[in-house]
Amino acid sequence: MTSNTNPEELSPIGRSMLDRRGFLGQSGMALGGLALSQLLARDRLLASDGAGPIRPLIDENNPYAARPPQFAMPAKQVLVIYCPGAVSHVDTFDYKPDLYKLHGQRPPGIPAVTFEGPTGNIAKPFWDFKPRGESGKMVSDLLPNLAGMVDDFCFVHSLTTQTSAHPQGENFFNTGFTMEGFPSFGAWVTYALGCETEELPAFVAINDPRGLARSGKNNFGSGFLPASFQGTDFTAANPPANLGRPDAFSPGADRASVALLQKLNAKHLQHFPGDADLAARIASYELAGRMQTSVPEVMDIANEPAHVHAAYGTDSGTDLKRAYANNCILARRLLEKGVRVVQLFNGSDPSGGNGITNWDSHSDILKTHAMQAEIMDQPTAALIADLKQRGMLEHTLVVWCTEFGRMPFLQANGTGRDHNPAAFTCFLAGAGVKKGYSYGESDEFGFKAAVNETSVYDFNATLLHLMGLNHERLTYYHNGLERRLTNVHGHVIKDIVA
Amino acid sequence: MKRFLFLLTLTFVSLGSISSQAVEIDFENDVLPILENNCLHCHGEDEQESGLRLDRRGTMLRGGDSGLAVLVPGKPESSYLIDVINHVDPKRAMPPDEDKLPAEEIELITRWIKEGAIWPGQMEDRVEQEIDHWAFLPRRTEFKHDTIDDFLNEKLVAAGLGFSEPADPRSLIRRVSIVLTGLAPTPKRTGEFIAAFEKDADAAYQSLVDELLGSSHFGERWAQHWLDVIRWAETNGSESNLYRKNAWMYRDYVVNAFNEDKPYDQFIREQLAGDTMNAGPATGFLVSGPHVPSATVGAEPSARRQARADRMDEILQTVSSSVMGMTVGCARCHNHKFDPISISDYYSMTAVFQDIEFGSRYPEFPNDDPRVRRESELHSELEHLRGQMRAKGWAWIEDWKGFQEVHFPSRTVDSLRISFTGRFVMMDEVEILQDDPREQDGLRNVARASLGVTLSENPATKIEGMSAENLINQVYGAKEFKATSPKDSPEKPWVTFHFPEPTQISRLRLSSNREDFLETDYIDDLHNIQYGDFRLEVQDESGKWQPFATTSAMKQKSSEEQQRKAIQQKIDEIIAVMIDEGPQPAFVARFVEPVETFVFARGSPESPRDRVFASAPSRFNGELGIKPDSPGAQRRKAFAEWLVDSNNPLTARVMANRMWHHIFGSGIVATPSDFGLAGASPTHPELLDWLADRFIASDYSVKDMIRMMVMSRGFRQSSAPSESGLAKDSSAQLLWRFPPRRVEAEVIRDNVLLASSHLDTSIGGPSYRIHDVKQRYAQWEVVDNYSNSTWRRMLYQERMRRVDDRIFTAFDFPDCGQIRAKRPVSTTPLQALNLMNSDFVVSQSKLLAERASDEAGDDLKSQVERCFLLLLQRSPTEDESEAAVSFAKSQSLDLLCRTLINTNEFAFLP
Repeated sequence: MTSNTNPEELSPIGRSMLDRRGFLGQSGMALGGLALSQLLARDRLLASDGAGPIRPLIDENNPYAARPPQFAMPAKQVLVIYCPGAVSHVDTFDYKPDLYKLHGQRPPGIPAVTFEGPTGNIAKPFWDFKPRGESGKMVSDLLPNLAGMVDDFCFVHSLTTQTSAHPQGENFFNTGFTMEGFPSFGAWVTYALGCETEELPAFVAINDPRGLARSGKNNFGSGFLPASFQGTDFTAANPPANLGRPDAFSPGADRASVALLQKLNAKHLQHFPGDADLAARIASYELAGRMQTSVPEVMDIANEPAHVHAAYGTDSGTDLKRAYANNCILARRLLEKGVRVVQLFNGSDPSGGNGITNWDSHSDILKTHAMQAEIMDQPTAALIADLKQRGMLEHTLVVWCTEFGRMPFLQANGTGRDHNPAAFTCFLAGAGVKKGYSYGESDEFGFKAAVNETSVYDFNATLLHLMGLNHERLTYYHNGLERRLTNVHGHVIKDIVA
Repeated sequence: MKRFLFLLTLTFVSLGSISSQAVEIDFENDVLPILENNCLHCHGEDEQESGLRLDRRGTMLRGGDSGLAVLVPGKPESSYLIDVINHVDPKRAMPPDEDKLPAEEIELITRWIKEGAIWPGQMEDRVEQEIDHWAFLPRRTEFKHDTIDDFLNEKLVAAGLGFSEPADPRSLIRRVSIVLTGLAPTPKRTGEFIAAFEKDADAAYQSLVDELLGSSHFGERWAQHWLDVIRWAETNGSESNLYRKNAWMYRDYVVNAFNEDKPYDQFIREQLAGDTMNAGPATGFLVSGPHVPSATVGAEPSARRQARADRMDEILQTVSSSVMGMTVGCARCHNHKFDPISISDYYSMTAVFQDIEFGSRYPEFPNDDPRVRRESELHSELEHLRGQMRAKGWAWIEDWKGFQEVHFPSRTVDSLRISFTGRFVMMDEVEILQDDPREQDGLRNVARASLGVTLSENPATKIEGMSAENLINQVYGAKEFKATSPKDSPEKPWVTFHFPEPTQISRLRLSSNREDFLETDYIDDLHNIQYGDFRLEVQDESGKWQPFATTSAMKQKSSEEQQRKAIQQKIDEIIAVMIDEGPQPAFVARFVEPVETFVFARGSPESPRDRVFASAPSRFNGELGIKPDSPGAQRRKAFAEWLVDSNNPLTARVMANRMWHHIFGSGIVATPSDFGLAGASPTHPELLDWLADRFIASDYSVKDMIRMMVMSRGFRQSSAPSESGLAKDSSAQLLWRFPPRRVEAEVIRDNVLLASSHLDTSIGGPSYRIHDVKQRYAQWEVVDNYSNSTWRRMLYQERMRRVDDRIFTAFDFPDCGQIRAKRPVSTTPLQALNLMNSDFVVSQSKLLAERASDEAGDDLKSQVERCFLLLLQRSPTEDESEAAVSFAKSQSLDLLCRTLINTNEFAFLP
């Protein structure tokens, strides 16, 4: 169709893209908000690897429409439970008997200074470990409810990250880069797969009741992807910004406004027949109208049966626990409705008034980890159990994660553990992953990854794989590069795929 | 005059001298078999893992993707081959998964390299790499056409297309006003234009364009584009995302530069080296990217080195993406995969900016700047008072808010001890000042490691990792130096500065957290002093430390002795006025002493390799003609001159294309910050060169270029689609119509305010804020994004990295994390919700309705018409009017305004 364009000025791929865009534009489909330029990246330069980008075809009229994965996998949806602050692996899921032997000692090899400053002696786990489930997996008493479910979990014990600082660590875990401004995992998945429901945002970020985590919106932002793919943030207590009709206007007034708007827009469109951008904007008002009904519905957790509330713990413990438990119920309800990505935070940057903000535990870990665990354990375990009981784990991938681990030795203050980027533990559950399985090992102290070292790139590559996406081919052209969640790294951990 | 290389040829020639004395190594029999048995399987003719071949001397000299020279004849210590076979880095050990080569083989290869790496028959081998990518070649100098329209028309005709009809005057004035100033025309100006247009379309349009280019809103509009490209923001990003004090001075510099039509080459020079041109705020450009403040980097030295390397990378991203239109970041770890940027080029460029650090300074202004004048008045008063103190031989303390100065009678010392009276001390920096008339402010900091100063501290109070050496490392911020007395110990912290020779000193400048004072704002409990009182001591003949001044005595005397108290009070007052009315620190970069620059293998600061010197990329003839040890400003100036050299194939093209992009919605090169091989090809290559040529010929006048573009028929044509146009060129890259597009967040917000008559149109100054005053460790929260304190152009809304403003972020307003040469344009239901339900739109709709009623009188139909005119610059058609009046009657005029704000017509450039 652009065959008359001077061929010198466009690469073959560029020409084919022009053609495709022309075709799609006419048939009511277009390549989303993606400008032509973003498609012109010289695919042939990348194709030398034998694997050029696979670009999602985005319906401009509905950027959230469901799109097929690159290959078939059981997982259709993903729940990410993110624990900011760094959960101590040696006090939870990574059992290290040697720490008992060396408790109070300072064996060679302990660095003089770690992230926060001078180091102290080895400390045994602050909570006792016991064998759990049929698998006999050793888990500490800090998380008794999650411990009871280990037969459903697939642990990765050999994770390593690139930084000892929280914000960069959050960025790295959630966006694949320590720096700011890269698209989040949820944004990548939404960009690739759209959403199973048109009535709710494709990607919902449920922040901690205390507020945003340290990297704030970067954890669920769209970076340089179009804004359509950013996480919409709301919680069980607070609806999305500007969702509700302003008090000043009646429902009838709102309906009349939309009717008039569509009339004016339809008239305007007559002057621009075939302009997909204008049509897309008209459609977005219809979607918005539907969301105004469907979001309050999904947030209406009061109508959940009493036994559900009891299981999640919305009626017990501290205010923070109750608020987080409500968020967990909200997460399940969103997944039930077909939301593609739910990212649930258990920890924040601002304090909730109880003196702790998240899992960070530089001093008095015994107290602070216990306070945070009290918030996280029961509701999270209930959420995963609920998904299982409803059969949703068949098609939902659950990811429990944190930005790094904590040191097997104490800080000089003798009561807290510093950041450990060289070994930490996360777990997966649900669609497509092995059950009751542990992958990788840290060394005998939990100080450094020792067997099957797994980078965050590998972990993210695996998450995309489990969603039916090839991390090397899910790309977006930005400023000279075909960008990926995994930059130029990452290997899928085949061993944990069921 | 520099010349740019155009047939870019890379030649490697043997540098080693041939040794003839030692027992000669027989390459064929001694060395080659080792390579064959161990290396060539993966790095030979058939396979080139990591882009490396070891079967040719030339390819060994070049190295592989890593960019490191595998072989440096005569220098085994610089040859990467030797590192990997010695397993220096276990992760880069060769051969992989196998045992080390036998020691004698390693020794043999080492000796072979040392002796010149003689490879018979290949000593003249070279690896040539030709690059013929259009953007790196010189611009055309001869052209078929001499107007934009002729270039466009040629392509249109070839595609079987042609220009559309001219746009109607209403659309045209709305379009050109928004493109040039971001503001729609008033109904009055629209009416005048339409009337004049009917008489003489060309003259009317010409005068409109001149008027808009002369408007001070022009600079605001174009500054917004520039700020996007360099992801400029007023917060750091990262954990505490702290506010950058007075960073807006850079934003104002950019607005003024566009308004004054500052030549683009000068604009570049000033942004790179404005400190030498009395244009201090311009260097805010260099620190526009995000950074992690020292307090959140952590205490580990390797983390600090990494953070510094990250900051340098942000600087290079800014410079290369915005001015060069290239992405150089890949070359941080290895040679660029697509573009002719090697890892050495990358680090040579970091050497250019080695004196830049993210932070604040007192920006340089011309001497007639009001703040400069005020300071100079106050300073002479202050010096007078200080003179009175000095004359009496008194010592005193001055509180400069961010730091203290301790003045004492001048003395010459071998060493100086600060003995603290408290048991806990936290400081970030100490400067010891010497009177030196050669310095601009008459003072010279002699507490510098580069002058040979060393430090010692009380070992009993020392805290590991918080060493006193950090006091002179030019790093501001918390967690630099800490000392504490052990429980029950009489020992208290002290620090001693040892000078290499007797040194005259008269003043101390010290702080606990100068970073906070200089760099941020809007946080409680900033920069508190955390070191208490101290004694200044020198050693007597017996080696005992004797105090010659104590801060507690200074305080006591200055509050008790009449005469002294009076002077001290006056000093305090003047300083307070000076802090307020004199020049202020602004986050526009601070300067540090450049350190030696090395290539970091694989991007890791823990693996420094060859030393490099400031230069631009070698294949663009990047030699800057400066000495290796030249001062930072000189390096930056030289680099700026390289950028603006008229033979630089990129600079003019890149900027001409940016202007085109913002005017027509898509650049001639659709990837405005990537002119490299991975970028898009130009749709009109000759036109682009012609524009670049005109741009240079006009002495880089941005306004002339923009005028020429908006005067073109391509710009002035209708945006109505045609079937054949859509079929042949659906995105109108060839400009068979003016492509309509959704306007940016700023345009929507500004024009709602303009229509309601509540837009404060004042130019520049501190930003308005929509956020709370937060704790250090907390996230910014939007508290008020709609009331009258926010009724300025959105350019002046504090640009907070990665903070959702709860309305316009959804309209692809950038998060300022990464370079944004062009904003994506997405359409989402959340935009609809924000524009229907936000407090901003609801309250402005009410104000707009009030205005329309005021101006149109009691007749509802006139009021409705007025609403259309104010928002859309046109009257409603009859059936629109009917529907709108009936709606306003049954609902309200407020609701009508809210509906009109949501129309496609309001949101799209016609």
